Amino acid sequence: MSNLETPENIHCTRSHEYVIVDGETGIIGITQYATEQLGEIVYVELPEVGTTIPKGEAFGTVESVKAASEIYMPVSGTISEINHRLTSEPELINDDCYNEGWIIKVADFSKEDLEEAMPMDEYLSFIEE
Amino acid sequence: MNNENLKRTALYEKHLKLKAKIVPFAGWEMPLQYDKITAEHITVREQAGLFDVSHMGEFKITGKASLNLLQRLVPQDISKMEEGKAVYTQFCNPTGGIIDDLIIYRLNDKNNTYNFLLIVNASNIEKDFNWIITNQNDTSEITVKNISDDYSLMALQGPNAVDILDILGIDIDNQPKRFRLKETQINNIECIVARTGYTGEDGFEILVNNNQAAMLWDSILKAGETKGLKPIGLAARDTLRLEAALPLHGNDIDENTTPIEAGLKWSVCIDKPDFIGKEVLIKQLQQGTDKIFIGFKMQSSRIPRQGCEIFQGGRIIGSTTSGSIAPYLNYPIGMGYVDKTSNTKTGDLIEVLIRDKKYPAEIVKRPFYKMKKR
Repeated sequence: MSNLETPENIHCTRSHEYVIVDGETGIIGITQYATEQLGEIVYVELPEVGTTIPKGEAFGTVESVKAASEIYMPVSGTISEINHRLTSEPELINDDCYNEGWIIKVADFSKEDLEEAMPMDEYLSFIEE
Repeated sequence: MNNENLKRTALYEKHLKLKAKIVPFAGWEMPLQYDKITAEHITVREQAGLFDVSHMGEFKITGKASLNLLQRLVPQDISKMEEGKAVYTQFCNPTGGIIDDLIIYRLNDKNNTYNFLLIVNASNIEKDFNWIITNQNDTSEITVKNISDDYSLMALQGPNAVDILDILGIDIDNQPKRFRLKETQINNIECIVARTGYTGEDGFEILVNNNQAAMLWDSILKAGETKGLKPIGLAARDTLRLEAALPLHGNDIDENTTPIEAGLKWSVCIDKPDFIGKEVLIKQLQQGTDKIFIGFKMQSSRIPRQGCEIFQGGRIIGSTTSGSIAPYLNYPIGMGYVDKTSNTKTGDLIEVLIRDKKYPAEIVKRPFYKMKKR
């Protein structure tokens, strides 16, 4: 599998979600490592816009051919946007997890929570272990 | 299981070259996929796929007494089987439970007695072999051999399988018909070619000596180049068999389910002399079973998996034994058992509990996918 270009300002969790800081917005998805572990994603269950979900709580599910996996909030925040394209094109997550395969966006997210997430280089050594 | 204890098929190096994702399965290192699972699945439905299924077990049962032994072991009537014929059947325990399901092939025999080949599930090889030996009472006129470690098995499946075998020198008129076999040669390699499979497509299963397996694998892949043939992994094999509603031992059938409960009544012959489990199977045929095997189609996009509870009108009526997205049909499907008191029938709505939430599903006829007539 090719290595996707990793964006800047990205923080990852031990459960393999990421958050990209884009001004006041946090863009949330799952890491390339997670997509490789899951295999082809065939369904994504998305939350509703406006819901506030604390860090560490499940906000959705991704299902691959072989297994289902919950996706957890890397930071606490209120969902401002969901990636509607995933309803008909869940494979975007496999193909381009950091760009077109983003899952949700959050506004007013907790910047403090970011400190507990890992920068990309730290995350990459974490998955090596 | 420790990886060092895993066995490798004679085609292992081929899988590595083809960049397969290898996983442990039933004590073997097997190719899970070479490409995307859904792409592989559709290749088999529309063109052709080649599977390494050498983990499957093979037994040879020969000699005069072998017919009587097999007649006692399985609910199918083997006595009517001619040479060159294959039948799908099960080993049942005394309560009718399925110890394993298998295909029995009757090979040609020079000595004018019996020569049977049995192909059984990989996880059950030892158990099956012991079951056969335990039930053998006439040892003088019979030989039972486990030849699993000497033979490789590959499956060539899909609408183009017939053309590919034709390219390999077995023209269509000489190919075995469905549930028949030929002991023949492909590129001078001795093999048994049977018109059987586990995908819901037309195709063949080919048994060959380990030392010629790699050569045969390459020949078949090469012959299939112009026919869209691709190597296919075990993951697509599972989704293919589920779409075709073929039961998987360990999931849909096991020692606590009988062939009657599992909807395999067609494979049970009660007009033959005693066989193990007969009393229970007859009773179930006459009086019905407490649980009913069903197939269902989800009405949402959520994918059921094995072990999900099934509800109707708020009451739990059973649980799922298999579930997946059906890649060719493109919706989630599942199979499972429901209590007979639920009186469910085709077209009824049920609910499947997936991760703490109930999702609607419709009971549908099996198979979910039926091969087109060509």
